[in-house]
Amino acid sequence: MSVHVYRKTLRDQRRAVVGWGAAVALLVLLMAALWPSVRDIFDADLLAAYPEPFQRLFDLEAMATGAGFLNAELFSIILPGMFIAYGVGRGARLIAGEEQDGVLEVVVVTPLSRTRLLLEKATGLATGIVGLDAVLLVVTVVGSIVIDMAIPIGHAAVGAVAMVLIGVQHGWLALAVGAATGRRTLAVAAASAVAVAGYALHVIGALVEAVAPWQPLSPFTQAIDAGPVSGTVPVGFAWLAITALMVVAAAIPLFTRRDLVTA
Amino acid sequence: MAAVIRTSGLTKNYGGTVGLTGLDLEVTAGTVFGCLGPNGAGKTTLLRLLVGLLHPSQGRAEVLGIDVAHDPDEVHRRVGYLPGDFRAYPDLTGEEYLRFLGDLRGGVDAATVEELAERLKLDLSRRIGALSHGNRQKVGIVQAFMHDPPVLILDEPTSGLDPLMQREFLELVRGARADDRTILLSSHILTEVEAVADVVGILRQGRMVTVDSVEDLKARALRRIDLTFGHEPPMAVLAATPGVRELRADGRRAHLVVVGSTADLVAALAPYRVEDLVSHDADLEEIFLAHYAEEG
Ligand SMILES: Nc1ncnc2c1ncn2[C@@H]1O[C@H](COP(=O)(O)OP(=O)(O)OP(=O)(O)O)[C@@H](O)[C@H]1O
Ligand SMILES: [Mg+2]
Repeated sequence: MSVHVYRKTLRDQRRAVVGWGAAVALLVLLMAALWPSVRDIFDADLLAAYPEPFQRLFDLEAMATGAGFLNAELFSIILPGMFIAYGVGRGARLIAGEEQDGVLEVVVVTPLSRTRLLLEKATGLATGIVGLDAVLLVVTVVGSIVIDMAIPIGHAAVGAVAMVLIGVQHGWLALAVGAATGRRTLAVAAASAVAVAGYALHVIGALVEAVAPWQPLSPFTQAIDAGPVSGTVPVGFAWLAITALMVVAAAIPLFTRRDLVTA
Repeated sequence: MAAVIRTSGLTKNYGGTVGLTGLDLEVTAGTVFGCLGPNGAGKTTLLRLLVGLLHPSQGRAEVLGIDVAHDPDEVHRRVGYLPGDFRAYPDLTGEEYLRFLGDLRGGVDAATVEELAERLKLDLSRRIGALSHGNRQKVGIVQAFMHDPPVLILDEPTSGLDPLMQREFLELVRGARADDRTILLSSHILTEVEAVADVVGILRQGRMVTVDSVEDLKARALRRIDLTFGHEPPMAVLAATPGVRELRADGRRAHLVVVGSTADLVAALAPYRVEDLVSHDADLEEIFLAHYAEEG
């Protein structure tokens, strides 16, 4: 089976993956370089000064380990934020953006079905995010070795998978909303709103007892609650993957049945 | 002869706006059908319905017997389509872009692409984003023709082309018809459609107000003529000439409108000294007027 749209989607991401990859690498290496001095601070009895809920939310105790430090500083908001931004920006562009630019019209009038078009683009986006994630994994592992953070490769890999999942989930949501509506701004807005709401639910669920039962609905909770750099693969990963697939599946009939907008 | 394009009761409403209303149309194989109409008449709406980019509010459209709504991809396989506002990936070269589209069609003959580009004097090695409007339009024309589709649906294909390239394009269309392909194209320009179409349909406010052979349309066409005489204009003679309307004198000049052939007028003028004769092609609006005048 020839997958020309998939290949084009990948080719179009080459430069972006390199750019974003460089930013991710810089960030991780910067944090890793800070680790030795942070470790010394946390050796002191600073932890007790924080209220207990904050300790839980930011996993302060874990800050005393290399993995805990990276989880708190990078994997709980900055990296998820970057992966979401990458996924949402790209995802909204792939169909709604091309459609509003007027370039999709001729592509749609080929024997390639709209379903196939959407699926190849979704797969291409996910592959791009995996590429970005490979950069993350490599620098995390290398940083850990160089700075002596003692993070096992397996643990780093689980953290990296969490970033892929949260990035793909939000990216596919933007892609799906764009495919269903043909409106790029709406796609970005909807996916961003879901991301903000998910993060808010994750934070508030940790702080407020009454909200706690709802917390698992947050993609952030599913992705990062176990670390995410840790030795356990949370079941939440499956939930993230399934919801991401469901969102794309739901977009298929909407995309096939609607009118294409003109530039 | 079998209809290659057939619509029945085809209707498209955009919210409250009428795009197309109850269109019944048949275009037979090997025909060039020219779709004329003023801005907003519904030409683009019709063409986009035929390739399944739009879904009808009512009625249906068939291309080569395939229901467009039911099996759009089978229609796409057999159609070359040029949108009214053609845009291509600006970061690709013409060659890369056409190869991509060709791949989606299961591969096209590189020699065909090259020949088309040569005829249109299109440089395929340049980035599309760096091309002029007319040259970008040529990329659009090439992609519509390159897989030798049996049906071509072209929305204002000559927009942006210089006169030389317009002529070359019309040659392409004639060649396609000679190969028994069916072509539906839209335009604002009567002379362009006249030059190449067998049948002309005139759309107005979402309705096809007339479908006619080009000969019949020409026979009904109005032409404005300004005559300058070496003496007083022979108004009585002019007024008595068949086909002359809206006659009016202005010193030694006479302005008039001729319906259909000018043969009678030219014969009537023979005895007189005509110093200058200027003829204006009827524009679309005048064709409509002629049509409505005939309907009474
Ligand atoms: N997406 C849309 N939403 C709302 N109204 C639309 C839309 N597309 C077209 N229309 C309306 O439908 C009518 C027909 O438009 P269409 O584009 O088919 O005309 P056209 O004959 O192609 O005009 P032009 O010669 O300017 O290209 C117009 O009144 C137009 O405003
Ligand atoms: Mg139009």
